[in-house]
Parts: sequence; structure tokens; C-alpha cells
Amino acid sequence: MKKYLAMLLAVVMVLSLAGCGKSGSNGGAASNGGSSDGKTKITMWCIATESDSNRHAYEQAIADIKANHPEIEFTWEAIENETYKTKIKSAVAANELPDIFFTWACAFLGDFVNQDKVYCLDDTLAKYKNELPENMLGNTTYDGKHYGVPTTMNIVGLFANMDLLKQVGYDEIPGTYDEFIACCDALKAAGIIPFGCAGGETWCVTEYLESVIEKSIGADALNDIFLGRSTWDNAEVAAAVDRFQGMVNNGYFDPAGASLSNDEIKANFIDGRYAFYMNGTWNCADFAANADFFPKVKVAEFPVINSSSAKLGQLIGGPSDTLAVAKSSPNAEKAAEIAAELGKLICHYGYLDGCGLPAWTPYGDTSSVNELTQTVAEICGKADAYVLFGDTAMSADDKDKYLEFVAKVYGGEVDGAGFISGLKEAIR
Amino acid sequence: MHKKNKGITIFLFLLPALALFFGILIAPIIASVHHSLFQYKTFENAGDFVGLKNYRDLFTSEYDFGTALKNALILAGLSVFIQLPISLGLALMLGKGIKGERFYLSVYFMPVLISAVVIGMLWEKIYNPIYGLIFKSFEAFGWESVLPPEGLLGNKKTALMAVFIPTIWQYVGYHMLLMYAGVKSVSPELREAAMLDGATDGQVNRYIVIPSIKQIIKVSIIFAITGSLKSYDLIKVFAKDAYNCSYKVPSLMLVRYAFNNAGGIASAIAVIMIILCFAFAITINWLFKERDPYGKK
Repeated sequence: MKKYLAMLLAVVMVLSLAGCGKSGSNGGAASNGGSSDGKTKITMWCIATESDSNRHAYEQAIADIKANHPEIEFTWEAIENETYKTKIKSAVAANELPDIFFTWACAFLGDFVNQDKVYCLDDTLAKYKNELPENMLGNTTYDGKHYGVPTTMNIVGLFANMDLLKQVGYDEIPGTYDEFIACCDALKAAGIIPFGCAGGETWCVTEYLESVIEKSIGADALNDIFLGRSTWDNAEVAAAVDRFQGMVNNGYFDPAGASLSNDEIKANFIDGRYAFYMNGTWNCADFAANADFFPKVKVAEFPVINSSSAKLGQLIGGPSDTLAVAKSSPNAEKAAEIAAELGKLICHYGYLDGCGLPAWTPYGDTSSVNELTQTVAEICGKADAYVLFGDTAMSADDKDKYLEFVAKVYGGEVDGAGFISGLKEAIR
Repeated sequence: MHKKNKGITIFLFLLPALALFFGILIAPIIASVHHSLFQYKTFENAGDFVGLKNYRDLFTSEYDFGTALKNALILAGLSVFIQLPISLGLALMLGKGIKGERFYLSVYFMPVLISAVVIGMLWEKIYNPIYGLIFKSFEAFGWESVLPPEGLLGNKKTALMAVFIPTIWQYVGYHMLLMYAGVKSVSPELREAAMLDGATDGQVNRYIVIPSIKQIIKVSIIFAITGSLKSYDLIKVFAKDAYNCSYKVPSLMLVRYAFNNAGGIASAIAVIMIILCFAFAITINWLFKERDPYGKK
């Protein structure tokens, strides 16, 4: 018996070794793209994991694609956000990209385009020009060519638990900065923590910091800095950073946030631990899905701090969530067609779910869109300038240094002057 | 002719192992050294030759590799002076043949079998500053003000130790098992003879068991130190995106820079880690070398 067991184990080991030697079995584009039953194989990687707000939209969109395209065999894999960033970069380097992959616009996709790894979608998107406004393609256009299919667009929203605000005498989210600070002071005095922020996930800190900087120096000035048209050596930025750090030092932020994840912070906000939560408007879907919490929550734009440089309608965000097609895909043309259709469907279902605003022209009955998302649509309807999230707008190495300094600001290691001088030195 | 054939046969039989050894160990080290001398902004593009600049840059304030190295050495020190003595103590205790020996062996070894990610999540919950076990325990005694409001992981003064405690705890069982095997291999006759001569348990361990398992202790020390220098998985779970942590270690920095357009810097870190691991292994081997009591060997 033992002999047979040993032989069985040996066979398993040999087979697993053989398995290690074969690439492309995980859905990478290295496969020949054809399945045994004559169907075209299309694979996709994305970040719509079970806990992601967009999961439902992806599942519905993919179900539609499978129903509409019996000629393809569609497989997909969802990977956690931070892990995905590493995995996709490794796949690009190893030429093992799946046919379709989720990406962030601007510099993130730009790095892959520069390496000539992304399939140009000009011909495919030309068929959809009536449904996909050209201004939604700006962040995925490089040298005049389109390389991405946008899905939804999002901005940073100031979410508020109105039950807590009412306890300190506010029926609406304060509209001016002075009122806003007075509200935070009142909350603090009442023993309510104004903000929650996941210190270990620096992108969450940028949601606050970038809003404070933008409403201090204006959208154009911040865009110029993010896109490298001007340097970080800007005294107004330093003052805005000091202002943000002052909010942290003044006890407006939950200190426990330093060791919590964003999911935990969001859960705490829903539980009523914080009065405000500043994060992407994709959260509208999760808030709307919580029947107990939904009646309590409102969303607004962060108030203007310096009205001589900034104004309402200048927002952090824009179309960033994107689907792209690997140039190495053996079925790139078909994959491009599917990616465009899929992008449109994800946009449609995502908008209905409240995961963001539509990058595509909405169709069908959209009356069921939740009130929070409708408020976000109103805010965006009045917007006159967008500044894309800093970690998406900047190139990978600049982004890395930027996030490091943002983390240092939140941790109190550098002040405004240190922030601008450090970034001026690090990003040239 | 016969001898020549024999030589070729030996060479042919050694070739697969040699090819594997070269392919998966030597070649990557050579490649890392090569990469560390270039920019490597992307994986495919070596960029400009920069010589030793990447190594010099690592120790500037921009990269602050010195802190990461210092943290790794603290972890190595804790492993050798806290983790291994605990492992040795447990191994000696269990090796003596106590009641329920197999049960305790399994219990102490269990953390080694659990994935580092699971252990990380578990300890994150223990450290949670709102509902964590530690916070709630202190709260029950009215001592919560003793704990930092940021939580043990969020406070700069306590974070390093908070991260290292589970790292050390996880591998106590691993080293215990290595040493336990050694303790069990010590001849019972030696023990009995010492006991008959009136030696206490402590004396038996001090003069019989520990000298007999010296080589195993050496291996454990090498594993503990090199493992500490390379530690990544558990720390990564705590560090999240690794920008805001006061417990950065070389591996964490390596992965961060490798995937953020600084392949040259990442390779330089890899080379330093390889050199340190080899240096420690050689030094420990030298320290444990059997020496002639009269000074010659």
C-alpha cells in the first residue's frame, strides 16, 4: 500500500513539475487563443474582487457578453487592487498579459503604451463615437491615438453622516470652509471624531490632501504640478499642506486610522464612528446598498479654502477606470471589440449600481440610480475643471516619491516646507 | 580511455544538477549584480550605466536604506537572542519525554503551518485599537490610556516591536522542531550515565545535550539570521502599501522599487542582501568551527 502511495505521490510531483514548465495556462495571452471547440478564447484581468463595489456590474456585463457572443470563450480573473498593480507590471514585462486588462488611465497605462504593449483602439472606438464622448478619452489618448475603453468616472466626495451632524446643529454639510471647520470643532467638542482615514493606505490620505491643496491653489495650478508643467516649489502648496497637517494635529482625524485599512475605516463610518469620510464616489454603491445607513448619508463637494485661486466646481477625479487590450493578444481585434462592448456594459450597470458616473452616454431606464450618485452627477454637471488623482496622473517613479511624501505629511515627519522641497528635489 | 569515459559519465550525471544550480541560483545573482549597475527604469530597458551610484543612493535620505537594514538586523538579533532560546527551551523540555509530548509538539509547530497572510490578519485583529484583544483586555482593567491611541501598529515607537513579535512567534515552532530532533538523537546512555553521576536536569542539558546539538543550533542561527534579513510576507501584511511604515525592511523596499521604475535600486538591495546573507552564514560557520583545545586543528 505504502509503495503505491509513494508512486502516486511521485507521479503527482512529476505532473506538477510539468505544469510549472508550461506558461500561459493562467489565462495569459501566451495561449494560442483558440479552444478545442472552435471558440475564440478571450481572457480578462480586473480588480473587481468580491468586496469591490464594481463586482456586480462586472458580473452582469460579463453575463451579457457571454450571451451575446457565443463564438467566444470568455474567462476572467479578479485580483486585489494593490496586488494587481504588481501583477500587471510583471505580466507586461514578461509579455504575458491577458487579452483584455483593467488599467488606470494617464501615466499608469501610459507606461505600458510607451513599452508598445497595448493595442491601439482607434478603429474599434470609431464605431462608438456617438456613444462615447471624445472628452472621456483624453486620459487614455497618447500621441493622438486611443488605447483604452473608459468605464465609469469618479470624483472625491465629501460624505457626511447627517445624524451626527444634526447632533451638533447642522442640517446640511457646511458650504464654506470656515463653517466646515466650525462644524469639525463642534463635533470634536461633542466627542465625535470628524474624519476617518486609513493611514496605511496612502491613496486614502491623498483623497483628503489633494482636495485641500486643490481648493487652496486651484485646479489649473495643481494640474500643472501633477503633469510636470510646473514644479512643486510653490509656497501656496506648502501652506495647504500645513493646513491639512493642522487638521490632523488638531485631532480632526481618528488616530486609530494609522493602523486601520480603508475597508475598516469605511465600516467605522457606516457604524457612526466618524462624521465625515472623504473618498471616491464609487462608495455610493455600498452606502446605497446599506438600508440602515443610506438615509443618514449625504455627499457634497469639499468647500473652497482660498477663493482667489480656487472655486466650487473644481474637482479631484475624472475618467480613470479603463479596459485595455494587449498588443500581444492573438485575437487582439476581437478582444478590442469585446473590450469596447464590455466597457459600455460595465459603465451602464456600474452607473445603475451607483459605482460612478457614466463615461459613456447613458441608455435605458436610469431612474433607479441612487440619490447619492444623482447628487454626484449634479456636482459633476456644474464642474468646470477636473484634476485626476495624483497617483494616476503621475508616472510610476514620480508617483512613488509623491506617495512617500504624502505618507510623511500624514505621519508628521515633514511639514509643508519639507513636502515641497522634498518633492522638488525628488521629482525633476 | 576507461578513466576518460568515467569522467565524462560523472560530468553527464552531474550536468542536470549543475545546470539547475547555475540557472536558478548563480545566474540570477550575476543578473542582479549586472542590473544593479544600470538604471532599469522598466524591466526591459536597462537604461544608462550608472556604476555604483545605485548603491550610494540607497544610503541617502531619499531611500533611507540604512533604517531598513537596521530594522532587519534588530529582527535578526531578536531572533537569535529571544526566538532561539525559547525554541531551545521548548525542545529541551519536550525532548526529555514529558506527558503529552506529541500534543505540545503539534501545538508549538502549528503557527509554522499557517500562512503568513493569515497570521498577519490575525495579529492585526489582536492589535486593533478599537476592538482588538489587547485593547479590550487593557480596557477591562481600565488601563487603555497606557496604549497609544494610534494602536500598537500605528505608533512609531511601538510599531517595530508590534510587527516583530508575531514574526518571531511564528517561527519558534520551526526552530524548536529542528532542535527537538537533535535532542532526541542524543544517546540515552549518556543522559543516564550523567544522572547516575548525580547531574541535575540543568547540568545534563548544559554539559551533554546542548554540546551534542551544537551543529543544529548553528543551522538554526543561520536560518534565523538569513530569514530575518529576507523577511517580507508577514511584514507586508502589516505595512499595507509600505509608504507610511516605521518598520520597513530591505525586502519591502526591494519589491516597492522593483515595481516602481527603479529596477537598478531594487537590484542593488538584492545584491546587498545576498552579500549579507553569505557573510553571516560564513561568519557563523567560522564561529562554530570545532577547534582543538590546544589551539590547533
